[in-house]
Amino acid sequence: MPEYVIETYGLTKVYKSGGSMVVAVDKLDFTVEKSSIFGLLGPNGAGKTTLLMMLTGLILPTSGSGRVLGYDIVRESREIRRRVGFLPEGFGFYEHLTAEQNLEYIAALNDIPKLERRKRIEDILALVGLYEVKDRKVSGFSRGMKQRLGIAQALLKDPELLMLDEPTAGLDPEGSKAFKDLVSKLSKEGKTVILSTHLLFEVGPLCDSIAIINRGRIVVQGRVKDLVSRLMEEEGYKIHVEVRGDAGKLATALSGLDYVKSVRMEVDGIHIDSTKDIRVDVVKLASELGLEISSLRVEEPSLEDLFIRYYKGEVV
Amino acid sequence: MPGVFTVASREFSDILRSKRFIILVAVFSVVFMVGIASIYLTVLSMAQGLGIAMPTGFLGRAASVVASSMSYFAPIIGIALGCDAISGEREKGTLRTVLAQPVYRDTFISGKFLAAFLAVSIAISIASIVDVGGSIAILGVTPTSDDIARLALFVVFSILYAMSYYGIAILLSTISKRTTQSVIVSVTLWAIFTFAIPIIASLVAYLYRPISGIEIIQRQRPGGNATRPSPEEMRRIMEEMRSRAAITQAINSITPNYHFTSIIQYILNTSVGLMQGMQGRPNVSLSIYQGLASAWPHILVLALVACVTLIASYIIFVRQEAR
Repeated sequence: MPEYVIETYGLTKVYKSGGSMVVAVDKLDFTVEKSSIFGLLGPNGAGKTTLLMMLTGLILPTSGSGRVLGYDIVRESREIRRRVGFLPEGFGFYEHLTAEQNLEYIAALNDIPKLERRKRIEDILALVGLYEVKDRKVSGFSRGMKQRLGIAQALLKDPELLMLDEPTAGLDPEGSKAFKDLVSKLSKEGKTVILSTHLLFEVGPLCDSIAIINRGRIVVQGRVKDLVSRLMEEEGYKIHVEVRGDAGKLATALSGLDYVKSVRMEVDGIHIDSTKDIRVDVVKLASELGLEISSLRVEEPSLEDLFIRYYKGEVV
Repeated sequence: MPGVFTVASREFSDILRSKRFIILVAVFSVVFMVGIASIYLTVLSMAQGLGIAMPTGFLGRAASVVASSMSYFAPIIGIALGCDAISGEREKGTLRTVLAQPVYRDTFISGKFLAAFLAVSIAISIASIVDVGGSIAILGVTPTSDDIARLALFVVFSILYAMSYYGIAILLSTISKRTTQSVIVSVTLWAIFTFAIPIIASLVAYLYRPISGIEIIQRQRPGGNATRPSPEEMRRIMEEMRSRAAITQAINSITPNYHFTSIIQYILNTSVGLMQGMQGRPNVSLSIYQGLASAWPHILVLALVACVTLIASYIIFVRQEAR
């Protein structure tokens, strides 16, 4: 039985905008398992930020309920914020203060004992690569440095759960890699990390599980591997084979097989679209035709394929 | 409560280190000194002109300049501290960062109030100390214990006055989406209260209550009838003037400025003093207790403005969502 750090039931948020009502989050039921890296993926305006704000008690839900680390998101939001490191989208720091002074303030707000503060701040700054500039005013920081300081403030309370909203926005490739390494490390330490982003290529590959959210609803949710298998079953398998010898003969033979929808000969080999995994049949046929297979693989759908497919709502 | 002190302590140190605050306190301290120097020069020339010795006493001379300078300084310091207190944090994203911590919204705004109160108290105390020091140094007078008590009350009511403007400014900052919006509205409101309302009040009084006694006074001019106004005419003139003053006061009373000025007149006796002292007439001044007793309706209004605006900002901020 998996242990969940987040559970929501019919969570809904409706904003009043002028005279109209905008449903930002629509009857959301979802769960996040402990010690996983969970990707909350969706385009801008999908409802990701509103969802995270509700989970941390910064916005009250219009209806529905939810629990984070076992605490009610409405009645016990302070306990949640005490245990959850949250990097909100559009966060900011006091620019006239140094990185260290900003973190000292955050530490004081979290009631971190004074004796522990200094060491913890220094450790966290070292972890995010800002130790060398800890005495520099934040006004002189680049966007990437501010982003790293944002991650540092989220880590300062040694949280059980980290919620990072658009965490790679503004990071250069080096910073992005360092961020991914950091998230992997935190996950190995047993922390649960929720990454909310529209930049799925940046963080998608890190995730154990994802939920794709659009127009306030979760379109699909599950482990990445399961979703890939599901998509292949629903969309079909793309198999690529390279042989030494007359590839045309093999292509013709493959066209006659059951489950095969199409066979294309291309410069890099034969591309087969089938409704089933027919790799065993391919090997058998090649052997019968006296051809040597140099490469045979199933082309798994990428995260991009998953996103586009589910985001468009073609498969639910 | 510890959260309130954490927020207040950070906010307070930010205010004290801000250029805006330092410049305001410095500029007004200079203005106070210049005011006292100008009083000294005026008194000196008048005394020389009348062939009398320099009058003694403290508040009679310095109080009017202190009161008029403070009537500008206190609102400006209140507006400067309040106009971006919430909207500025919202714009910079620091509000989100702070509220992502285990801090309630009421803790945050209470910390802001506390810090502003301390900063206003310090600014006004500094300005008043500069004034007292300047008066002692320039006018060569030593304040009596009564003067010191009056000055202490003056500081207290100036803080209350500044906090009423701080309340207005932070309320606007809480409901405004942008700091520029709250700055413009706060400053406009201050300008209306300070400059426009008194003019409007005089105009309305003039229109509703023209003084017919003007003709009687004009009779005294060369070419006019030399008959002195009869007691009946004098009574009518006085009645008309009182009625006109009542209209002016009623309109002015919608501004905190009017109430502050009224309090200060009672506490510092600025309506008596210099000229009476110069003319050798005894100062018919109120004791501190009499002054407080007369000023209490104005004190109440000023306290209400401060409380209502601060409570309204508090309620609105606590109910707002961090979108």
